Amino acid sequence: MTALGGLLVVELCGERGQYMGKLMGDMGARVIKIEPIDGSPERNIGPFKDDVPDPNSSLYFWARNTSKESLCVDLESPQGISAVKKLLAKADVFLEDRDPGFLKTIGLDYEVLKQTNKKLVMTSLTAFGQDGPYKDYRSNDLVALAMGGIMHSCGYDDVPNSPPIRPSGGHGDFISAHYGLIGTMSALFSRDFTGVGQYLDVSAHEACSSTTEASIPTYLFLNKEVFRQTGRHQGATPTPKTLCKTIDGKYIIVFQLFNNLNSWMSLVKWMSEKGMSEDLEDEKYKDMARHRTSNTEDSDHAFEVVRNFILNHTADEIYRGAQELKYPWGIVRSPEENLDDPHFLEDRGMFEDIPHTEFGDEVTYKYAGRPYRFKGTPWNAFRPPLIGEHTAYILNQDLEYSEQEIENLRLTGIIPSE
Amino acid sequence: MPKNPIRAKEEDQINVQEKPLSKNALDGVRVIDLSWIVAGPQCTRLLADFGAEVIKVENEAALDYCRNILSIDNEGSPNRSGLFNTLNRNKKSVTLNVMHPTGMEKLKELISVSDVIVENFSSRVLEKWGLSYEDQKKIRPDIIYCSMSGFGHSGRDRDYVTWGPTAQALSGLTYMSGLPGEESAGWGFSYMDHTGGFYGALAILMALKHRNSTGEGQHLDLSQVEAGIGMTGTSILDYTVNSRPFRREGMPPGNTAPDKKIAPHNSYRCKGKDRWCVITVNNEGEWNALSKAINNPPWINSEKFSTMELRYENQDELDQHIETWTSNRTPHEVMHHLQSYGVPAGAVQTPRERVEEDPQLKERNFLPTIKHGELGDTKVEAMPMKMSETPWELKSASPLLSEHSAEIYMELLGTSGEDFASFLEQGIA
Repeated sequence: MTALGGLLVVELCGERGQYMGKLMGDMGARVIKIEPIDGSPERNIGPFKDDVPDPNSSLYFWARNTSKESLCVDLESPQGISAVKKLLAKADVFLEDRDPGFLKTIGLDYEVLKQTNKKLVMTSLTAFGQDGPYKDYRSNDLVALAMGGIMHSCGYDDVPNSPPIRPSGGHGDFISAHYGLIGTMSALFSRDFTGVGQYLDVSAHEACSSTTEASIPTYLFLNKEVFRQTGRHQGATPTPKTLCKTIDGKYIIVFQLFNNLNSWMSLVKWMSEKGMSEDLEDEKYKDMARHRTSNTEDSDHAFEVVRNFILNHTADEIYRGAQELKYPWGIVRSPEENLDDPHFLEDRGMFEDIPHTEFGDEVTYKYAGRPYRFKGTPWNAFRPPLIGEHTAYILNQDLEYSEQEIENLRLTGIIPSE
Repeated sequence: MPKNPIRAKEEDQINVQEKPLSKNALDGVRVIDLSWIVAGPQCTRLLADFGAEVIKVENEAALDYCRNILSIDNEGSPNRSGLFNTLNRNKKSVTLNVMHPTGMEKLKELISVSDVIVENFSSRVLEKWGLSYEDQKKIRPDIIYCSMSGFGHSGRDRDYVTWGPTAQALSGLTYMSGLPGEESAGWGFSYMDHTGGFYGALAILMALKHRNSTGEGQHLDLSQVEAGIGMTGTSILDYTVNSRPFRREGMPPGNTAPDKKIAPHNSYRCKGKDRWCVITVNNEGEWNALSKAINNPPWINSEKFSTMELRYENQDELDQHIETWTSNRTPHEVMHHLQSYGVPAGAVQTPRERVEEDPQLKERNFLPTIKHGELGDTKVEAMPMKMSETPWELKSASPLLSEHSAEIYMELLGTSGEDFASFLEQGIA
């Protein structure tokens, strides 16, 4: 049995909201993605399989749309709207990320839907929320990361004239979708006791704004503005650089050098065995509290000796050697390098072979898998849907349209022709 | 028939259960929170905001390290951290010495009356305490146990340790942030502590939902690095499908958009010291709107910028032109002006601007005020959502250390006043 088995989720989402449906589908919910006749626009985002642009080959889309069915229908036509409305009358959850007010114009707003389905949980995940002076402002991942303050914290202090940097990969969308789904799940839990659903108005701008760790508390409580620093935490005062280069051209994140005397002494011993500890065996370097709380000439020197030691070893040697000494250091890996790490690949099964039979009976592709491991209920993903793959099936099996009615919808262009 | 699976139809899960009338979504759910620093407290904060009773358990000898971060003025008090305050509002605080046999007994009593246990220690700590999931189950058969370690509770590297920056580095997220040819810019904060907390809360909510249907609890074995890897899905597929590594010439992409091949899509210098805005143009409509908004300067009609493809190809030159326009305007002037034409643009906002000026955040009450026992009126960051039936609620600021000890020991666990006094004396409570 899966955690979310039995739930019917209807998703009308693009870049911002699509991850909510994926996470629900992967845990067993039945998720139906409503798409326009020619497919959702995010199917056009690269990279593509074999670099051939095709709406069924977007790897961006694949990574965010596993475990869904696709219903392509024209939402500009009354018949298309009516089909979706019928589906929503049976749904447990409606996830949408359209502009505020849009669904009202086609009669699919919560006030209408709850008349026929009081158990419906409807989540609107918009850029700024349903009200307020910015509600109609245009936004996307980059704008959300800028306005929400995340970019202000990320970038360089040693690259002249460099701008704040947005961490790439769509994290403005991820943060928003994570919050949207957390709210949705709380509403589903509550529904088990009350029998009624509800409406959630979730704001991407607020989601990002509340995901900046210490920057707001630093302003509120210390009245200081933080500034960005290369590869490490923002600071209200400068902190030592944590990126350390290795002999194989990679980087290790080095911090909490002086957190623990045992770790420090073991590190110095290791360096000494390699003839690279210089004067670090000296007593003055053992005052962890002093070095931890203030940058002194001694702590700067000690860090430089460590930095030089790291520069003479491979990233893997330093990473594993330091972890053995309880230093929480890590290699700055490129994402694909985790496929070479047996802890994640073999022991934890973090990457999942998912069948893509549309390319051949035996074809599978390896995906980044479960972000959490449920010991009692499986993660259970299948490949993302082809455009409109389940349209006829859903109309027929779920909504009881006759073959003739479906054919008529095809002929009038309300669903794709076969 | 579609080639892809269709999820089998199952019975409607709703099975309205007995519970006192509730105001918040998680009223009646009790969480034992053994977690500390940021990731675990972020997780339980979300549950507490929805009304769960979160009991933060600390050992006097090893208090939550976050109490020291950004601590204000009065050195020595554990109750003066602004970051701690925002992460631990709505929770109860109890001190309990798990190293003392009576303390451990009391912890087990707490488990027996709770629904969820959350911890983010390294991966063998609870096992060593004799509180593995199997042990917990004997105390409370339907317990939901959420462990949030760096590498998970299995596998050859399970004893390795992470902080947010470690998980960001290993998962690939740090590398993905930066300018091509430079070192990693990375994340300027512990993003994976936030996101680790989000996944913890999500997993617990899903497991609670499952428990409603089946009566069964389970162990949720979270790994902070894996949660990070999950968000690199496109890069993983580009490698496994196309054999193209993300580590290559020209990557990471700075603020540009090689996945969409659109331009302009970047950050632009504005008036003021280190001030920036972002501008994105996703289609011809927005391009025309941008032209109009900046008064159709001659360069904009150049052949070089006549299609999206050409704009993407010539984006360095395009960006220079745009920056000429932005550089004598403030980020907010640029944003408001372009937005009035329908162009997605945003100021890179400072913390001060988000706190003091952003009219949207003000209107939506992003920083509500709550009275704290030592700090007086404090502002904390809101849940980014409104809910029509069971809204999140700010009921209390972060608790003072052991503020709820008497209540928990005496009212919840039925410890006598005499015993409680002796617990305090012996350093058990």
